[in-house]
Amino acid sequence: MTTDVKSLISVEKVTMRFGGLTAVKDVSVNVAQGSITAVIGPNGAGKTTLFNAITGVYEPTEGTVLVSGRDPSRQLTHAVIAGAAATGVATAVFLAILVRVEALWKASVIDLYVYQQAFPWGKAIAAFFATLFGGGFVGTWLPMLLGLVLGASGRMVIWSRTRRTPDVVASAGVARTFQNIRLFPDLSLVENVTVGMDRRLSSGMVAAVFALPSALRERMTARTEAMKLLEFVGLADKAEEAAGNLPYGHQRRLEIARALASRPDVILLDEPAAGMNPTEAVDLMRLIKAIRDAGTTVVLIEHHMRVVMGISDRINVLQYGEKIAEGTPIEIKNDPRCIEAYLGKEELG
Amino acid sequence: MAALQRFSLFSRGQLVVLGLLAMVPLVDLFVPGVQLAAPMRNVIVFAILALGLNIVVGWTGLLHLGIAAFMAIGAYAFGILTCEIYPFQVGFWWGVILAGAIGAFAGWLLGAPTLRLRGDYLAIVTLGFGEIVQDALKNLEVITKGTQGINPLPAPTFPGFVMSAEHPFPWFYLYLGILAVIVFLCRNLEFSRLGRQLFAVREDELAARCMAISPDKAKLKAFAFGAALAAVAGALSASLLSSTGEPSNYDFQISILALCIVIVGGIGSITGVLVGAIVMVGLNNVVLPQATQALQRHGIDSTANVLSSPDNYKYMLFGLALVLMMRYRPDGIVFSRKAARK
Repeated sequence: MTTDVKSLISVEKVTMRFGGLTAVKDVSVNVAQGSITAVIGPNGAGKTTLFNAITGVYEPTEGTVLVSGRDPSRQLTHAVIAGAAATGVATAVFLAILVRVEALWKASVIDLYVYQQAFPWGKAIAAFFATLFGGGFVGTWLPMLLGLVLGASGRMVIWSRTRRTPDVVASAGVARTFQNIRLFPDLSLVENVTVGMDRRLSSGMVAAVFALPSALRERMTARTEAMKLLEFVGLADKAEEAAGNLPYGHQRRLEIARALASRPDVILLDEPAAGMNPTEAVDLMRLIKAIRDAGTTVVLIEHHMRVVMGISDRINVLQYGEKIAEGTPIEIKNDPRCIEAYLGKEELG
Repeated sequence: MAALQRFSLFSRGQLVVLGLLAMVPLVDLFVPGVQLAAPMRNVIVFAILALGLNIVVGWTGLLHLGIAAFMAIGAYAFGILTCEIYPFQVGFWWGVILAGAIGAFAGWLLGAPTLRLRGDYLAIVTLGFGEIVQDALKNLEVITKGTQGINPLPAPTFPGFVMSAEHPFPWFYLYLGILAVIVFLCRNLEFSRLGRQLFAVREDELAARCMAISPDKAKLKAFAFGAALAAVAGALSASLLSSTGEPSNYDFQISILALCIVIVGGIGSITGVLVGAIVMVGLNNVVLPQATQALQRHGIDSTANVLSSPDNYKYMLFGLALVLMMRYRPDGIVFSRKAARK
């Protein structure tokens, strides 16, 4: 086993159940840093479900997925609790103002403002707070209590539901492609890649809207870098075309470029060779090796046996949601269970 | 695309439309009996409103049916902040800026708990919000003067110079300048990181998520920015009328008009939205009233016959425009950059 190499993704006893259907059962997979790890198995074996569980599209029913030895999900930090408390207080004040907005307005504005005379601001603010907190239980404290509970619990519910969404996992350095290509079809190639870069960009809304130099500089460097990535996958000449107009094989390459743009630690490729002819598949193998050599760990699901056997360092075999074997390509080729379950004699021929 | 590589203030299409708008007062000067500059200020107000809606509908792909509510919030914020019957009296400029800020805050407040809803459900929430805001403004009589509206409101001012209703040209150019600034801001947004996030969310939310983008945050920003622009439009329109008007002026009709401007002009395209505003609001506020006046001058119209007054054709023409657009140019008069590639 690869105990001496750092494991970048460790899937530990993950089970995925959908109602009565167990799509993935008790599967553990280790992905060593700098390796190319393949997950293979017949259709419906649960490979894509495993990917979805890793990337946060699904929450594993049981088990954990660690990225670089850590749980990538949002932890219950002090910042989360402080945020919930602040939201609670803000909602409390808002609700208390809302239920008695007319009385507040009357006390602090109408009663004090005489037409065309100076407005006593100090008095008005004092009157405002006196009225705000002077509503007794029903006027002040009940709405405040309700607001506090509502705001704080609402924020906590949102936190708990977005703990492990795909964007959180992606922020931890896990990028992926999809089995049924999911590009942004109306955006150009270079825009698609730049979207993938988002994790590393920092310009905010204000800087962007007012075209501050920092935002403009970032816009330029992002574009230059996106062009480099397009060159890497061999699509630079089509940079301004709409992604949806590309031929299938090119779309797959573009998806890989988009995933690479975030400079992930690990990239998950879901059937990258699907629908490719043998020449394209050979090109793809070269590309995947180049990605690995550039320092990005690769996990791939693939049916194309020449690709899998040609480039994988380790192969995991799934069948009916369970892992039945793991090893080097040679070990897998000779494993009688795998031959029986999946590969078949002609494939090995 | 040169637009991406080199920084420029406006695209060619935007320059053409803004330039054409800048020439409108010339028509007033040289063609006797025609007054376009004054009603064209309304076109500018609606262009700003529709630009705000375009960010939400065109770029982020959320169906927003209550943009008029934010226009109302902007108008009433401007009214309360500037009218003499209230103590604040911050003046025109601060009034507009604060109205925009309050609009953004209101958008954020509505968006934060609801933007996680999908598709139709969000549309229903925005629709409901539009009605709630109208009713709230109507019933909070102590604050908003109910159906009377707040008036008088100040016209735009510069040091030593006050705009007046008799001279619409400076007023027109001021509003055109504000529109140009807003077009510039929208254009920056379009090519920025946030703009890309919005497009990505519109095209494929799950894929965007897997690119480490939080759709919730991106949508919230778009929603708040759109609401801010709608509120600025509300403030400008209130200043134009010197009154907020009654709350029911900001009803569903206005939301739909803004949506029509975006769809007819070209969904997702800034130039398209400008053209859409000129076509739709120009028809409503400029062409039809002018035609009616012309007929009256020549004594052709008669009060007995409704059809003899072109003013009454507007809804028929709106409907016709929409049907024809959907049939012949479903992407709008001006294709957006995205749609043009298809």
